Amino acid sequence: MRANTCGNIINQTMKPEDQAWASLRRHASAQLPTGFADGILRATRGPKPEVWQQLRAVAASRLRPGFAGRVLQAARAAADLPSFASQLALSAATAALCLGAVLFLHIRNLEQADARNLAEWQQIVAAAREIDTNRP
Amino acid sequence: MEPISPTALADLVRRAQKGDETAQRDLIVSYQHRVAGFVYAMTSRSDYVEDLSQQVFIKMIRALDRLQAPAQFESWLFRLARNTCIDQLRRQKLRRIFLPFGEEHENIPEPAGAVDTEELDALRHALAQLRPQDRALLALVQEGRSHAEIAEILATSVAAVKARLHRAREHLREHYQPNHET
Repeated sequence: MRANTCGNIINQTMKPEDQAWASLRRHASAQLPTGFADGILRATRGPKPEVWQQLRAVAASRLRPGFAGRVLQAARAAADLPSFASQLALSAATAALCLGAVLFLHIRNLEQADARNLAEWQQIVAAAREIDTNRP
Repeated sequence: MEPISPTALADLVRRAQKGDETAQRDLIVSYQHRVAGFVYAMTSRSDYVEDLSQQVFIKMIRALDRLQAPAQFESWLFRLARNTCIDQLRRQKLRRIFLPFGEEHENIPEPAGAVDTEELDALRHALAQLRPQDRALLALVQEGRSHAEIAEILATSVAAVKARLHRAREHLREHYQPNHET
C-alpha cells in the first residue's frame, strides 16, 4: 500500500515523456523469454562437454542388449552371400557366353547361306554352259 | 567398458583379423557406445542409431583383414562410421527427390523420452543445421581424435582441418539456441 503510494507519487512527479519511455521498456522486457540471459550465455559458449556426453548416452541407450551378437550374426550371414564382385564376374561371364553363342550361330548361318548361294550359282553356270554347247 | 591400452588394442585387432570371434565381439563391445554417439551426432536421429551402428561394425568385420596398421584401428573405424553416415544421408536426400512426401515421414519428431534435456535437444537441432562434413568434424573432435588423425580420416591437411573446425564451431554456436523454435 505504502509502495503503491510512493509509485503514484513518482509517477505523478515523472514527465509524460519519461513515463512513456518507462512503459516502452516494461513492454520490451516482457517480450523476452524466461532464462533469456542463460540462453545468451549458452549460445555464446556453445554446447558444454556434458551435453556431448548426454548425446552419447542417449545414443548408447538406443542399442538393444545383445548388439555385438547380432552384428556378428549379420556379418556371418553377409559373408555367406556372394560378394558384389563375384556377382559382377558371373554376370559378365554369362553375357560373354551369350554373345559368343549369338556370334557363332550368326557366322554359321552366313556360311550356310553362302554355300547354298554358291551351289545355286554353280547350277546356273552349268545350265548356261549346257545351253551354249547345245546351240547350233 | 574400460578404455583399452594401445598395445592391448593392437593385439585385439590382430586376433580379430585372424577371425577370432571373441576378439571381434570384444572390439564391438568396446566401441559400440562411441560409434553410436558418432552416428547420433551425424544423423540427429536416434532411430537410425542401431541400424547404422550395425552397418558400421559389419563393414568393420568384413574389411578388418585389409587394415595394414592395427595401431590405427580407431581412426580407421571412425572413417568407416563417417562414410557410412554420409552414404546414408546421401541416400536419404536422393529418396526425397523421388519420394516428395518421404521427408514428412522422415521428420517425425523424436519419441518422448528419447531426448531428455533442453540443451541436448538444442545440440541436436544445431547439429542438424550443419553440413554432414562439419558434423563429422565436430563429432570426431568429441571422440578425442587429434587434428592429425582427423586430417588422415578426411584425407586433407592439418591446416585445412583447423580452418574447417573453426568455421564448424562458429556455425554450431550460431544455431545452438536452447530455446530454439522448430
